[in-house]
Amino acid sequence: MTLEQLLADTKPVLLDIQQRNLAEIEQARDWQAKYRVLMQLGKKLPAIPEKMKQPELLVKGCESRAWLMHYHDKATDKHYFVLDSEARIVKGLMAIMLCLVNGMTTTELCQFDLCHKFDQLNLKPYLSQSRGNGLTAMVSRIKQCCK
Amino acid sequence: MPAFDVQQFRQQFAFFQQQPEWVYLDNAATMHKPQAVIDAITQFYQHYNSNVHRGAHQLSQQATILFEQARSTVASYINAQHLHEIIFCSGATAALNQIAFGLMHTVLQPGDRILLTQLEHHANIVPWQLHCQRHGVIIDVVPLTAEHRIDLVAYEQLLALGPKVVSFSHISNVLGHIQPVAEMVRLAKAAGAVTVIDGAQGIVYQQPDMQQLDCDFYVFSGHKLYGPTGIGVLYGKTEQLEHLTPIFAGGEMIDSVSFINTSFNKLPFRLEAGTPNIAGAIGLSAAIEWLQKYNNKQIIQHKSLLLKEFYNGLTFIKGIDILSSHVHNAGIVALNVDSEHPADVAELLNQQQIAVRSGQHCAMPLFSCLARPGAIRCSFAAYNTLDDVNRCLLALEQTVEILTA
Repeated sequence: MTLEQLLADTKPVLLDIQQRNLAEIEQARDWQAKYRVLMQLGKKLPAIPEKMKQPELLVKGCESRAWLMHYHDKATDKHYFVLDSEARIVKGLMAIMLCLVNGMTTTELCQFDLCHKFDQLNLKPYLSQSRGNGLTAMVSRIKQCCK
Repeated sequence: MPAFDVQQFRQQFAFFQQQPEWVYLDNAATMHKPQAVIDAITQFYQHYNSNVHRGAHQLSQQATILFEQARSTVASYINAQHLHEIIFCSGATAALNQIAFGLMHTVLQPGDRILLTQLEHHANIVPWQLHCQRHGVIIDVVPLTAEHRIDLVAYEQLLALGPKVVSFSHISNVLGHIQPVAEMVRLAKAAGAVTVIDGAQGIVYQQPDMQQLDCDFYVFSGHKLYGPTGIGVLYGKTEQLEHLTPIFAGGEMIDSVSFINTSFNKLPFRLEAGTPNIAGAIGLSAAIEWLQKYNNKQIIQHKSLLLKEFYNGLTFIKGIDILSSHVHNAGIVALNVDSEHPADVAELLNQQQIAVRSGQHCAMPLFSCLARPGAIRCSFAAYNTLDDVNRCLLALEQTVEILTA
Protein backbone atom coordinates (compact mmCIF):
# COMPACT_ATOMS: atom_id res chain seq x y z
CA MET A 1 0.00 0.00 0.00
CA THR A 2 1.28 3.48 -0.87
CA LEU A 3 0.09 6.96 0.00
CA GLU A 4 -1.12 7.37 -3.59
CA GLN A 5 -3.32 4.28 -3.31
CA LEU A 6 -4.69 5.37 0.05
CA LEU A 7 -5.46 8.83 -1.30
CA ALA A 8 -7.18 7.31 -4.32
CA ASP A 9 -9.25 5.00 -2.08
CA THR A 10 -10.11 7.74 0.41
CA LYS A 11 -11.13 10.46 -2.05
CA PRO A 12 -14.38 8.90 -3.33
CA VAL A 13 -15.39 7.91 0.21
CA LEU A 14 -14.98 11.48 1.43
CA LEU A 15 -16.96 12.72 -1.55
CA ASP A 16 -19.75 10.27 -0.76
CA ILE A 17 -19.78 11.37 2.88
CA GLN A 18 -20.15 14.96 1.80
CA GLN A 19 -22.88 14.27 -0.71
CA ARG A 20 -24.90 11.73 1.25
CA ASN A 21 -24.01 11.23 4.89
CA LEU A 22 -23.84 14.84 6.06
CA ALA A 23 -27.53 15.22 5.37
CA GLU A 24 -28.23 11.94 7.16
CA ILE A 25 -26.47 13.23 10.25
CA GLU A 26 -28.26 16.56 10.15
CA GLN A 27 -31.60 14.81 9.80
CA ALA A 28 -30.98 11.94 12.26
CA ARG A 29 -34.15 11.44 14.28
CA ASP A 30 -32.38 10.43 17.51
CA TRP A 31 -28.88 10.06 18.91
CA GLN A 32 -28.82 6.34 18.09
CA ALA A 33 -29.40 7.05 14.41
CA LYS A 34 -26.75 9.77 14.38
CA TYR A 35 -24.17 7.48 15.99
CA ARG A 36 -24.98 4.62 13.65
CA VAL A 37 -24.15 6.91 10.72
CA LEU A 38 -21.00 8.19 12.43
CA MET A 39 -19.75 4.66 12.95
CA GLN A 40 -20.53 3.70 9.36
CA LEU A 41 -18.38 6.61 8.20
CA GLY A 42 -15.50 5.29 10.24
CA LYS A 43 -15.95 1.88 8.67
CA LYS A 44 -16.15 3.24 5.11
CA LEU A 45 -12.83 5.05 5.27
CA PRO A 46 -9.88 2.84 4.28
CA ALA A 47 -7.61 2.02 7.21
CA ILE A 48 -3.97 3.06 7.23
CA PRO A 49 -1.90 -0.17 7.37
CA GLU A 50 -0.12 -0.66 10.72
CA LYS A 51 3.36 -0.39 9.26
CA MET A 52 2.55 2.96 7.63
CA LYS A 53 1.49 4.47 10.98
CA GLN A 54 4.75 6.27 11.62
CA PRO A 55 5.08 8.16 14.92
CA GLU A 56 5.14 11.54 13.16
CA LEU A 57 1.65 10.86 11.76
CA LEU A 58 0.19 10.32 15.22
CA VAL A 59 -2.37 12.88 16.39
CA LYS A 60 -2.72 12.24 20.06
CA GLY A 61 -6.10 12.47 21.70
CA CYS A 62 -6.48 11.76 25.36
CA GLU A 63 -8.39 8.52 25.02
CA SER A 64 -7.63 7.19 21.56
CA ARG A 65 -4.92 7.55 18.94
CA ALA A 66 -5.43 8.88 15.41
CA TRP A 67 -3.16 9.22 12.39
CA LEU A 68 -3.24 11.81 9.62
CA MET A 69 -1.45 11.64 6.26
CA HIS A 70 -1.30 14.70 4.05
CA TYR A 71 -0.48 15.24 0.40
CA HIS A 72 -0.06 18.66 -1.17
CA ASP A 73 -0.38 18.63 -4.95
CA LYS A 74 1.91 21.55 -5.79
CA ALA A 75 0.76 21.78 -9.41
CA THR A 76 -2.85 22.53 -8.45
CA ASP A 77 -2.08 23.75 -4.87
CA LYS A 78 -4.64 21.30 -3.50
CA HIS A 79 -4.46 19.43 -0.17
CA TYR A 80 -5.54 15.80 0.22
CA PHE A 81 -5.76 13.72 3.37
CA VAL A 82 -5.97 10.16 4.69
CA LEU A 83 -6.81 9.34 8.29
CA ASP A 84 -7.31 6.55 10.73
CA SER A 85 -8.31 6.27 14.38
CA GLU A 86 -8.53 3.51 16.96
CA ALA A 87 -12.01 4.63 17.97
CA ARG A 88 -14.89 4.33 15.53
CA ILE A 89 -16.94 7.34 16.62
CA VAL A 90 -13.88 9.58 16.63
CA LYS A 91 -12.95 8.26 13.20
CA GLY A 92 -16.43 9.09 11.94
CA LEU A 93 -16.22 12.63 13.31
CA MET A 94 -12.77 13.09 11.83
CA ALA A 95 -14.03 11.76 8.50
CA ILE A 96 -16.59 14.57 8.49
CA MET A 97 -13.84 17.09 9.10
CA LEU A 98 -11.81 15.67 6.25
CA CYS A 99 -14.63 15.56 3.75
CA LEU A 100 -15.12 19.28 4.31
CA VAL A 101 -11.48 20.18 3.64
CA ASN A 102 -10.24 17.48 1.25
CA GLY A 103 -9.11 19.00 -2.04
CA MET A 104 -9.04 22.58 -0.74
CA THR A 105 -6.37 25.01 -1.88
CA THR A 106 -3.97 26.51 0.67
CA THR A 107 -5.95 29.74 0.86
CA GLU A 108 -9.26 27.91 1.23
CA LEU A 109 -7.85 25.70 3.96
CA CYS A 110 -6.44 28.66 5.90
CA GLN A 111 -9.75 30.50 5.77
CA PHE A 112 -11.97 27.52 6.48
CA ASP A 113 -13.97 27.80 9.72
CA LEU A 114 -14.52 24.25 10.93
CA CYS A 115 -16.27 25.33 14.14
CA HIS A 116 -18.93 27.11 12.14
CA LYS A 117 -19.49 24.09 9.91
CA PHE A 118 -19.64 21.69 12.86
CA ASP A 119 -22.14 23.97 14.54
CA GLN A 120 -24.39 23.68 11.48
CA LEU A 121 -24.22 19.90 11.74
CA ASN A 122 -24.99 20.00 15.48
CA LEU A 123 -21.59 18.48 16.13
CA LYS A 124 -19.96 21.48 17.81
CA PRO A 125 -19.92 19.95 21.33
CA TYR A 126 -17.35 17.45 20.05
CA LEU A 127 -14.88 20.23 19.37
CA SER A 128 -14.89 21.44 22.97
CA GLN A 129 -11.53 21.61 24.75
CA SER A 130 -12.80 19.57 27.66
CA ARG A 131 -13.30 16.49 25.52
CA GLY A 132 -10.41 14.14 25.27
CA ASN A 133 -11.33 12.73 21.87
CA GLY A 134 -8.51 14.46 20.01
CA LEU A 135 -10.72 16.34 17.56
CA THR A 136 -9.25 19.71 18.45
CA ALA A 137 -5.77 18.23 17.99
CA MET A 138 -6.86 16.99 14.55
CA VAL A 139 -8.17 20.44 13.61
CA SER A 140 -4.86 22.09 14.45
CA ARG A 141 -2.94 19.36 12.60
CA ILE A 142 -5.07 19.94 9.48
CA LYS A 143 -4.61 23.69 9.77
CA GLN A 144 -0.83 23.25 10.08
CA CYS A 145 -0.85 21.67 6.64
CA CYS A 146 -1.54 25.03 5.02
CA LYS A 147 1.54 26.62 6.58
CA MET B 1 -27.75 1.83 64.56
CA PRO B 2 -30.57 1.92 61.95
CA ALA B 3 -29.95 0.34 58.53
CA PHE B 4 -28.19 2.41 55.88
CA ASP B 5 -30.78 4.48 54.04
CA VAL B 6 -29.34 5.28 50.63
CA GLN B 7 -32.12 7.73 49.76
CA GLN B 8 -31.55 9.73 52.93
CA PHE B 9 -27.79 9.71 52.20
CA ARG B 10 -28.26 10.74 48.57
CA GLN B 11 -30.63 13.57 49.43
CA GLN B 12 -27.75 15.43 51.00
CA PHE B 13 -26.12 15.90 47.62
CA ALA B 14 -27.63 18.87 45.83
CA PHE B 15 -25.97 17.69 42.63
CA PHE B 16 -28.37 14.79 42.23
CA GLN B 17 -31.36 17.08 42.59
CA GLN B 18 -29.89 19.41 39.97
CA GLN B 19 -28.95 16.62 37.57
CA PRO B 20 -31.47 13.84 38.23
CA GLU B 21 -31.07 12.43 34.72
CA TRP B 22 -27.40 11.53 35.22
CA VAL B 23 -26.03 8.26 36.56
CA TYR B 24 -22.70 9.22 38.09
CA LEU B 25 -20.25 6.31 38.12
CA ASP B 26 -17.01 8.28 37.95
CA ASN B 27 -16.48 8.38 41.69
CA ALA B 28 -12.91 7.12 41.53
CA ALA B 29 -12.10 10.32 39.62
CA THR B 30 -13.90 12.63 42.02
CA MET B 31 -16.89 12.39 44.32
CA HIS B 32 -19.83 14.70 44.84
CA LYS B 33 -19.97 16.88 47.92
CA PRO B 34 -22.70 16.77 50.56
CA GLN B 35 -24.39 20.00 51.65
CA ALA B 36 -22.44 19.91 54.94
CA VAL B 37 -19.19 20.40 53.01
CA ILE B 38 -20.55 23.13 50.74
CA ASP B 39 -21.98 24.94 53.78
CA ALA B 40 -18.72 24.71 55.75
CA ILE B 41 -16.76 26.27 52.87
CA THR B 42 -19.34 28.99 52.29
CA GLN B 43 -19.52 29.80 55.98
CA PHE B 44 -15.77 30.09 56.22
CA TYR B 45 -15.64 32.60 53.38
CA GLN B 46 -18.71 34.49 54.63
CA HIS B 47 -17.81 34.70 58.30
CA TYR B 48 -14.20 33.87 59.06
CA ASN B 49 -12.07 34.44 55.98
CA SER B 50 -8.56 35.46 57.10
CA ASN B 51 -5.08 34.12 56.70
CA VAL B 52 -3.88 31.64 59.30
CA HIS B 53 -1.06 31.63 61.84
CA ARG B 54 0.15 35.17 61.25
CA GLY B 55 -2.55 37.75 61.81
CA ALA B 56 -2.47 40.15 64.73
CA HIS B 57 -6.24 40.23 64.77
CA GLN B 58 -9.00 38.09 66.13
CA LEU B 59 -10.30 37.08 62.71
CA SER B 60 -7.01 35.43 61.89
CA GLN B 61 -7.07 33.66 65.23
CA GLN B 62 -10.54 32.29 64.45
CA ALA B 63 -9.41 31.10 61.03
CA THR B 64 -6.35 29.49 62.60
CA ILE B 65 -8.50 27.69 65.15
CA LEU B 66 -10.77 26.31 62.40
CA PHE B 67 -7.78 25.28 60.28
CA GLU B 68 -6.05 23.55 63.19
CA GLN B 69 -9.33 21.89 64.19
CA ALA B 70 -9.43 20.47 60.67
CA ARG B 71 -5.98 19.00 61.23
CA SER B 72 -7.22 17.48 64.44
CA THR B 73 -10.29 15.97 62.74
CA VAL B 74 -8.09 14.33 60.10
CA ALA B 75 -5.59 13.12 62.71
CA SER B 76 -8.25 11.42 64.79
CA TYR B 77 -10.01 10.00 61.71
CA ILE B 78 -6.89 8.12 60.63
CA ASN B 79 -5.66 7.66 64.21
CA ALA B 80 -2.35 9.46 63.81
CA GLN B 81 -0.32 9.65 66.98
CA HIS B 82 0.39 13.39 66.71
CA LEU B 83 -1.34 16.37 65.13
CA HIS B 84 1.88 17.48 63.46
CA GLU B 85 1.92 14.21 61.53
CA ILE B 86 -0.89 15.59 59.33
CA ILE B 87 0.56 17.74 56.56
CA PHE B 88 -1.97 19.55 54.39
CA CYS B 89 -1.12 19.69 50.70
CA SER B 90 -3.04 19.94 47.43
CA GLY B 91 -3.71 16.22 47.03
CA ALA B 92 -2.24 12.74 46.84
CA THR B 93 -0.12 13.66 43.79
CA ALA B 94 1.48 16.60 45.61
CA ALA B 95 2.06 14.41 48.66
CA LEU B 96 3.81 11.71 46.62
CA ASN B 97 5.94 14.33 44.90
CA GLN B 98 6.94 15.73 48.30
CA ILE B 99 7.87 12.30 49.59
CA ALA B 100 9.87 11.28 46.51
CA PHE B 101 11.71 14.60 46.43
CA GLY B 102 12.11 14.78 50.19
CA LEU B 103 13.70 11.37 50.73
CA MET B 104 16.52 11.91 48.23
CA HIS B 105 19.88 12.42 49.95
CA THR B 106 18.35 11.88 53.36
CA VAL B 107 17.07 8.32 53.18
CA LEU B 108 17.99 7.49 49.57
CA GLN B 109 21.60 7.62 48.41
CA PRO B 110 23.00 6.89 44.92
CA GLY B 111 22.94 3.15 44.25
CA ASP B 112 20.04 2.53 46.65
CA ARG B 113 16.89 0.73 45.47
CA ILE B 114 13.20 1.48 45.83
CA LEU B 115 10.27 -0.84 45.14
CA LEU B 116 7.03 0.05 43.31
CA THR B 117 4.33 -2.20 41.80
CA GLN B 118 3.04 -2.75 38.27
CA LEU B 119 -0.43 -1.42 39.04
CA GLU B 120 0.47 2.00 40.41
CA HIS B 121 -1.12 5.25 39.29
CA HIS B 122 1.35 7.45 37.40
CA ALA B 123 1.47 9.73 40.45
CA ASN B 124 3.15 6.91 42.34
CA ILE B 125 5.59 6.18 39.51
CA VAL B 126 6.70 9.35 37.77
CA PRO B 127 7.76 11.43 40.83
CA TRP B 128 10.01 8.52 41.81
CA GLN B 129 11.39 8.23 38.26
CA LEU B 130 12.14 11.95 38.11
CA HIS B 131 14.11 12.01 41.32
CA CYS B 132 15.59 8.52 41.16
CA GLN B 133 17.09 9.20 37.73
CA ARG B 134 18.77 12.36 38.96
CA HIS B 135 20.07 10.75 42.14
CA GLY B 136 21.09 7.37 40.79
CA VAL B 137 18.46 5.39 42.70
CA ILE B 138 17.27 2.12 41.15
CA ILE B 139 13.55 1.32 40.81
CA ASP B 140 12.33 -2.28 41.03
CA VAL B 141 8.74 -3.20 40.11
CA VAL B 142 6.62 -5.93 41.70
CA PRO B 143 4.82 -7.88 38.94
CA LEU B 144 1.18 -8.99 39.11
CA THR B 145 -0.37 -12.42 39.33
CA ALA B 146 -2.67 -13.79 36.62
CA GLU B 147 -5.58 -12.32 38.63
CA HIS B 148 -3.99 -8.85 38.33
CA ARG B 149 -3.08 -8.64 41.98
CA ILE B 150 0.31 -7.88 43.48
CA ASP B 151 2.43 -11.03 43.38
CA LEU B 152 3.40 -11.44 47.04
CA VAL B 153 5.99 -14.13 46.30
CA ALA B 154 7.79 -11.81 43.88
CA TYR B 155 7.31 -8.98 46.39
CA GLU B 156 9.22 -10.89 49.05
CA GLN B 157 11.96 -11.77 46.57
CA LEU B 158 12.35 -8.12 45.59
CA LEU B 159 12.35 -7.07 49.25
CA ALA B 160 15.36 -9.33 49.68
CA LEU B 161 17.28 -6.91 47.41
CA GLY B 162 17.06 -4.44 50.27
CA PRO B 163 15.03 -1.50 48.95
CA LYS B 164 15.18 1.56 51.21
CA VAL B 165 11.64 2.62 50.26
CA VAL B 166 8.56 0.65 49.21
CA SER B 167 5.57 2.54 47.77
CA PHE B 168 2.25 0.97 46.74
CA SER B 169 -1.42 1.75 46.46
CA HIS B 170 -4.03 0.69 48.98
CA ILE B 171 -6.59 0.05 46.22
CA SER B 172 -5.95 -0.15 42.47
CA ASN B 173 -7.52 2.92 40.84
CA VAL B 174 -8.29 0.89 37.70
CA LEU B 175 -9.39 -2.50 38.98
CA GLY B 176 -10.66 -1.68 42.45
CA HIS B 177 -8.71 -4.58 43.92
CA ILE B 178 -7.90 -4.14 47.58
CA GLN B 179 -4.22 -4.83 48.23
CA PRO B 180 -3.08 -6.74 51.30
CA VAL B 181 -1.48 -3.56 52.65
CA ALA B 182 -1.11 -4.67 56.28
CA GLU B 183 0.83 -7.73 55.18
CA MET B 184 2.87 -5.72 52.68
CA VAL B 185 3.81 -3.14 55.32
CA ARG B 186 4.78 -5.88 57.76
CA LEU B 187 7.05 -7.56 55.19
CA ALA B 188 8.59 -4.27 54.09
CA LYS B 189 9.32 -3.26 57.67
CA ALA B 190 10.91 -6.61 58.36
CA ALA B 191 13.16 -5.88 55.37
CA GLY B 192 14.01 -2.47 56.84
CA ALA B 193 12.25 -0.35 54.20
CA VAL B 194 10.37 2.91 54.63
CA THR B 195 6.73 2.30 53.61
CA VAL B 196 4.58 4.68 51.57
CA ILE B 197 0.89 3.99 50.85
CA ASP B 198 -1.03 5.78 48.12
CA GLY B 199 -4.43 5.94 49.76
CA ALA B 200 -6.17 7.95 47.02
CA GLN B 201 -8.78 5.22 46.52
CA GLY B 202 -8.30 3.56 49.90
CA ILE B 203 -9.39 6.47 52.08
CA VAL B 204 -13.04 6.33 51.07
CA TYR B 205 -13.27 2.57 51.31
CA GLN B 206 -12.33 2.23 54.93
CA GLN B 207 -11.12 4.39 57.76
CA PRO B 208 -7.40 3.55 57.86
CA ASP B 209 -5.79 3.31 61.29
CA MET B 210 -2.24 4.66 61.06
CA GLN B 211 -1.05 3.24 64.33
CA GLN B 212 -2.40 -0.19 63.55
CA LEU B 213 -1.29 -0.19 59.91
CA ASP B 214 2.10 1.11 61.06
CA CYS B 215 3.13 2.48 57.63
CA ASP B 216 5.55 5.40 57.52
CA PHE B 217 3.55 7.50 55.06
CA TYR B 218 -0.09 7.43 53.88
CA VAL B 219 -1.39 10.00 51.38
CA PHE B 220 -4.83 10.90 50.06
CA SER B 221 -6.90 13.60 48.35
CA GLY B 222 -9.88 15.30 49.95
CA HIS B 223 -12.03 15.27 46.82
CA LYS B 224 -12.15 11.47 46.79
CA LEU B 225 -13.56 11.56 50.33
CA TYR B 226 -16.59 13.82 49.68
CA GLY B 227 -14.36 16.85 50.29
CA PRO B 228 -13.30 19.74 48.05
CA THR B 229 -10.64 19.59 45.34
CA GLY B 230 -7.22 21.11 45.98
CA ILE B 231 -6.78 19.72 49.48
CA GLY B 232 -5.01 16.54 50.45
CA VAL B 233 -3.15 14.95 53.29
CA LEU B 234 0.38 13.69 53.66
CA TYR B 235 0.46 11.62 56.82
CA GLY B 236 3.90 10.62 58.06
CA LYS B 237 5.37 9.30 61.26
CA THR B 238 7.25 12.08 63.04
CA GLU B 239 10.72 10.60 62.56
CA GLN B 240 10.04 10.02 58.85
CA LEU B 241 8.65 13.51 58.27
CA GLU B 242 11.84 14.86 59.84
CA HIS B 243 13.75 13.18 56.99
CA LEU B 244 11.82 15.00 54.29
CA THR B 245 13.50 17.93 52.57
CA PRO B 246 10.72 20.44 51.80
CA ILE B 247 9.80 20.56 48.12
CA PHE B 248 8.40 24.07 48.49
CA ALA B 249 9.88 26.89 50.53
CA GLY B 250 8.58 30.22 51.74
CA GLY B 251 6.04 31.61 54.19
CA GLU B 252 5.02 29.76 57.30
CA MET B 253 7.59 26.98 56.84
CA ILE B 254 10.48 29.26 57.78
CA ASP B 255 11.85 30.00 61.22
CA SER B 256 14.47 32.62 60.38
CA VAL B 257 16.02 33.82 57.14
CA SER B 258 19.40 35.34 56.42
CA PHE B 259 21.68 34.99 53.41
CA ILE B 260 24.11 33.04 55.60
CA ASN B 261 21.71 30.60 57.18
CA THR B 262 17.97 30.02 56.91
CA SER B 263 16.31 27.76 59.45
CA PHE B 264 13.00 26.03 59.14
CA ASN B 265 9.93 26.00 61.33
CA LYS B 266 8.88 22.81 63.14
CA LEU B 267 6.42 20.22 61.86
CA PRO B 268 3.84 20.39 60.39
CA PHE B 269 4.57 23.94 59.18
CA ARG B 270 8.01 23.07 57.79
CA LEU B 271 6.24 21.11 55.01
CA GLU B 272 3.39 23.58 54.43
CA ALA B 273 4.94 26.47 52.49
CA GLY B 274 2.80 29.43 51.50
CA THR B 275 -0.78 30.12 52.44
CA PRO B 276 -2.48 26.77 52.83
CA ASN B 277 -5.85 25.87 51.31
CA ILE B 278 -7.69 26.96 54.44
CA ALA B 279 -11.23 26.58 53.09
CA GLY B 280 -10.22 23.24 51.58
CA ALA B 281 -8.99 21.89 54.91
CA ILE B 282 -12.17 23.09 56.62
CA GLY B 283 -14.25 21.46 53.85
CA LEU B 284 -12.36 18.19 54.21
CA SER B 285 -12.86 18.26 57.94
CA ALA B 286 -16.59 18.85 57.43
CA ALA B 287 -16.69 15.88 55.04
CA ILE B 288 -15.07 13.60 57.62
CA GLU B 289 -17.33 14.77 60.44
CA TRP B 290 -20.37 14.29 58.22
CA LEU B 291 -19.27 10.84 57.05
CA GLN B 292 -18.70 9.69 60.62
CA LYS B 293 -22.44 9.96 61.26
CA TYR B 294 -22.77 6.84 59.12
CA ASN B 295 -21.68 3.32 59.82
CA ASN B 296 -18.93 2.41 57.38
CA LYS B 297 -19.66 -1.32 57.66
CA GLN B 298 -23.17 -0.62 56.37
CA ILE B 299 -21.77 1.53 53.57
CA ILE B 300 -19.41 -1.28 52.57
CA GLN B 301 -22.36 -3.69 52.59
CA HIS B 302 -24.41 -1.33 50.44
CA LYS B 303 -21.58 -0.95 47.93
CA SER B 304 -20.99 -4.68 47.73
CA LEU B 305 -24.69 -5.18 47.04
CA LEU B 306 -24.42 -2.70 44.14
CA LEU B 307 -21.32 -4.51 42.89
CA LYS B 308 -23.02 -7.91 43.14
CA GLU B 309 -26.02 -6.68 41.14
CA PHE B 310 -23.73 -5.07 38.58
CA TYR B 311 -21.65 -8.21 38.08
CA ASN B 312 -24.79 -10.30 37.93
CA GLY B 313 -26.31 -8.02 35.27
CA LEU B 314 -23.11 -8.02 33.22
CA THR B 315 -23.33 -11.77 32.76
CA PHE B 316 -26.50 -11.22 30.70
CA ILE B 317 -24.84 -8.83 28.25
CA LYS B 318 -22.99 -10.42 25.37
CA GLY B 319 -19.36 -9.65 24.69
CA ILE B 320 -18.38 -7.92 27.93
CA ASP B 321 -14.75 -8.35 28.93
CA ILE B 322 -14.45 -7.68 32.69
CA LEU B 323 -10.96 -6.86 33.94
CA SER B 324 -11.78 -6.43 37.64
CA SER B 325 -12.44 -9.33 39.95
CA HIS B 326 -15.46 -9.02 42.23
CA VAL B 327 -13.42 -10.54 45.06
CA HIS B 328 -11.80 -8.02 47.45
CA ASN B 329 -13.06 -5.20 45.30
CA ALA B 330 -13.67 -1.73 46.72
CA GLY B 331 -16.35 -0.83 44.15
CA ILE B 332 -14.49 -0.22 40.89
CA VAL B 333 -15.14 -2.26 37.74
CA ALA B 334 -12.96 -1.93 34.66
CA LEU B 335 -14.45 -3.48 31.56
CA ASN B 336 -14.49 -3.47 27.77
CA VAL B 337 -16.91 -4.43 25.06
CA ASP B 338 -15.15 -7.14 23.05
CA SER B 339 -13.01 -5.73 20.22
CA GLU B 340 -14.41 -2.23 20.67
CA HIS B 341 -12.36 0.79 21.71
CA PRO B 342 -13.26 2.03 25.22
CA ALA B 343 -13.60 5.60 23.92
CA ASP B 344 -16.52 4.47 21.73
CA VAL B 345 -18.18 2.64 24.60
CA ALA B 346 -17.78 5.64 26.92
CA GLU B 347 -19.15 8.02 24.30
CA LEU B 348 -22.26 5.91 23.77
CA LEU B 349 -22.74 5.70 27.54
CA ASN B 350 -22.30 9.47 27.72
CA GLN B 351 -25.13 9.85 25.21
CA GLN B 352 -27.27 7.91 27.66
CA GLN B 353 -26.12 10.12 30.55
CA ILE B 354 -24.01 7.50 32.24
CA ALA B 355 -20.82 9.13 33.51
CA VAL B 356 -17.85 6.76 33.43
CA ARG B 357 -14.20 7.24 32.63
CA SER B 358 -12.42 5.64 29.73
CA GLY B 359 -8.79 5.24 28.75
CA GLN B 360 -5.81 4.00 30.70
CA HIS B 361 -6.68 5.88 33.91
CA CYS B 362 -3.12 7.13 34.48
CA ALA B 363 -1.88 3.56 34.82
CA MET B 364 -0.17 2.76 31.50
CA PRO B 365 2.19 0.13 32.96
CA LEU B 366 -0.85 -1.78 34.23
CA PHE B 367 -2.48 -1.70 30.80
CA SER B 368 0.66 -2.88 29.04
CA CYS B 369 0.43 -5.87 31.36
CA LEU B 370 -3.32 -6.32 30.75
CA ALA B 371 -2.64 -6.17 26.98
CA ARG B 372 -5.60 -3.91 26.27
CA PRO B 373 -5.72 -0.38 24.84
CA GLY B 374 -7.69 0.82 27.85
CA ALA B 375 -10.99 0.20 29.54
CA ILE B 376 -14.07 1.96 30.75
CA ARG B 377 -14.25 2.27 34.50
CA CYS B 378 -17.48 2.22 36.50
CA SER B 379 -16.78 3.31 40.06
CA PHE B 380 -19.51 3.18 42.67
CA ALA B 381 -20.05 5.33 45.75
CA ALA B 382 -22.34 5.05 48.75
CA TYR B 383 -24.86 7.44 47.16
CA ASN B 384 -25.31 5.21 44.11
CA THR B 385 -28.50 3.17 44.03
CA LEU B 386 -29.70 -0.09 42.52
CA ASP B 387 -31.51 2.09 40.02
CA ASP B 388 -28.13 3.54 38.95
CA VAL B 389 -26.82 0.00 38.51
CA ASN B 390 -29.80 -1.01 36.40
CA ARG B 391 -29.67 2.11 34.26
CA CYS B 392 -25.99 1.54 33.60
CA LEU B 393 -26.65 -2.09 32.64
CA LEU B 394 -29.45 -1.07 30.26
CA ALA B 395 -27.24 1.58 28.71
CA LEU B 396 -24.43 -0.94 28.27
CA GLU B 397 -26.85 -3.29 26.55
CA GLN B 398 -27.94 -0.54 24.19
CA THR B 399 -24.27 0.36 23.60
CA VAL B 400 -23.38 -3.21 22.66
CA GLU B 401 -26.40 -3.31 20.37
CA ILE B 402 -25.36 -0.13 18.53
CA LEU B 403 -21.72 -1.19 18.28
CA THR B 404 -22.47 -4.64 16.95
CA ALA B 405 -25.36 -3.70 14.66
